[in-house]
Amino acid sequence: MKNRLFSSLLKYIVLAVILIFLLFPIYWVLITSFKSNMEAYRFPPSFFPTDPTLDAYIKLFEVNNEFFVYYKNNFIVSGVTALITTVLAIFSGYALSRFRFRWHKWAVALLLSSQMFPVVSRMISLYDLLGDINLINTMEGLILALIADMLPFTVLLMVSFFDAVPNAIEEAAFIDGANRSQILFQIVTPLVKPGMLAVGLYAFLATWDDYLHAATLIQTDSLRTLSAGVALRYLGELSYDWSLINTISIIGTVPMVALFFFFQKYMVKGLVAGAVKG
Amino acid sequence: MVNKSMGRPLRKKLIPVKRSTGDIIFSSLLLLPALIMTITFIIVPIVDSVIKSFQDFRIKNIISGQPGEWNNFANYIKLFQSQKLIGAIIATFSFVLFVVILQFIFGMILALILNSKVLFARFIRSIMMTPWVVPTIISALIWMWMFQPQYGLVKYFVGVFSGGAITDFAMLNNTKTALLGIGIAALWKQIPLTTLLLLAGLQNVPDDMLEAATIDGAGRTRKFFSIVLPYLKSVIKIVISMAIIANFKQFPLIWTMTGGGPDNSTTTLAVLSYREAFISNNLGSGAAVTTIWMLLMVVVIVIYNKLLGTTDID
Repeated sequence: MKNRLFSSLLKYIVLAVILIFLLFPIYWVLITSFKSNMEAYRFPPSFFPTDPTLDAYIKLFEVNNEFFVYYKNNFIVSGVTALITTVLAIFSGYALSRFRFRWHKWAVALLLSSQMFPVVSRMISLYDLLGDINLINTMEGLILALIADMLPFTVLLMVSFFDAVPNAIEEAAFIDGANRSQILFQIVTPLVKPGMLAVGLYAFLATWDDYLHAATLIQTDSLRTLSAGVALRYLGELSYDWSLINTISIIGTVPMVALFFFFQKYMVKGLVAGAVKG
Repeated sequence: MVNKSMGRPLRKKLIPVKRSTGDIIFSSLLLLPALIMTITFIIVPIVDSVIKSFQDFRIKNIISGQPGEWNNFANYIKLFQSQKLIGAIIATFSFVLFVVILQFIFGMILALILNSKVLFARFIRSIMMTPWVVPTIISALIWMWMFQPQYGLVKYFVGVFSGGAITDFAMLNNTKTALLGIGIAALWKQIPLTTLLLLAGLQNVPDDMLEAATIDGAGRTRKFFSIVLPYLKSVIKIVISMAIIANFKQFPLIWTMTGGGPDNSTTTLAVLSYREAFISNNLGSGAAVTTIWMLLMVVVIVIYNKLLGTTDID
């Protein structure tokens, strides 16, 4: 009995330690963003803001509003990428799930292996390649490169969602005289809505996180997305404006956290389907 | 054949029509956009970068539109002669080993705890995912603020716990601890997903087997190693190989936190290739680094798969 109590206590202690490690840094950045500059640079630090203020947020809106250009650009780039990726993933996912031609094995191998290659290696020649077709330093070029980056994982994820839809439904529709594309768009696609959401959200989150594509393929400041813009504009000098950076961290993260918690069910399902079953 | 099963082996028989020409065209049309995108923007650039690694190719070649020139392995020879490459390989492997092992251990511990009867397990499972959705650059900034050399929290705690003996602890400015600091940030961001996937795997372990083992008098450790681990094997394999690939590729975190310094102590292959290609503007040399890097990664994945039995790529 004593042993049991001890092990249960130990369990909660370990749980608490890991959770503190995972969550405390976020709390720390959050409260720092509400501190005045004076208080943020006080040492030893204070664990609650003694005099909470919105100064850092106001300053971000008024002085450093290039940030919101990056923010808007990132919503456009991630939104368009997520949308197109989802549509293409539905097409290919369905084809790979339902038809089994010999060369499909090669298509799967191609998609699997292309996830392994480092992005820097691609950037070296994409820089050249996009220059040749006049898409360097444009949002269109960035979006194309990002869609290609997202496709391998999302297509394979979509395959596992289509695999879970029983064939009997399609057979019935076929007997009723529906053709292939009607079956796909009117009958099967509505059944994989959770998969579409998982794929779209994954693509949105992952491209929101992109730094390398934007940093190498875009040179005009007003076209930059969040990560590249923040890194190149605010992290240049030796000393950082920490209250600004903490505020940026919070505002840059909030939409992703909101999106994740709102669509948690689909995200978790997608991630698990992609890795555990795939 | 009436069947509600969705198992792969049966599928072929379930297609109601024969493989007509129409089907080939239809499925090819569906597949084509994704394949064209993957080939144009991933496969072609990869092959092209391998070719460029054997050439003298710099930014000026792009500007003037001149093709690179074959330079007799000069990029490779230079890299092997300088200490940079070996240093980067060592840094990369230390980073990958440290993060992957600890990520797995802590992820497993957290998953096991959340899978046992614990209060608020569902709630904890959802809030613990937060670091995973924080963008990488912002994770870097969060930990740079934690490690900040003047006002940082970690400096404060190190001071308190050392009884005031260490007052100038600067994790990222020291060649001995900088890589560790980045490793901690990487763990922070990656433990949640590992936990989530392992937890999903644990929930597939059949309860009746565990009960039967309990009745037979098996202890907790015994049950873990004889029942749980074998069931989890495929999940563990995927989780670890995902972690290896992700950390091998890690760039923005390191680049933001230290830029490869101090004194090249955090210059991994990712940082080295980026710096050669886009800071020194020597794209050929950068391509040579990524080529070596890809080869190493393939070797690691092959060895890893050998160790854990063959993978079936469907």
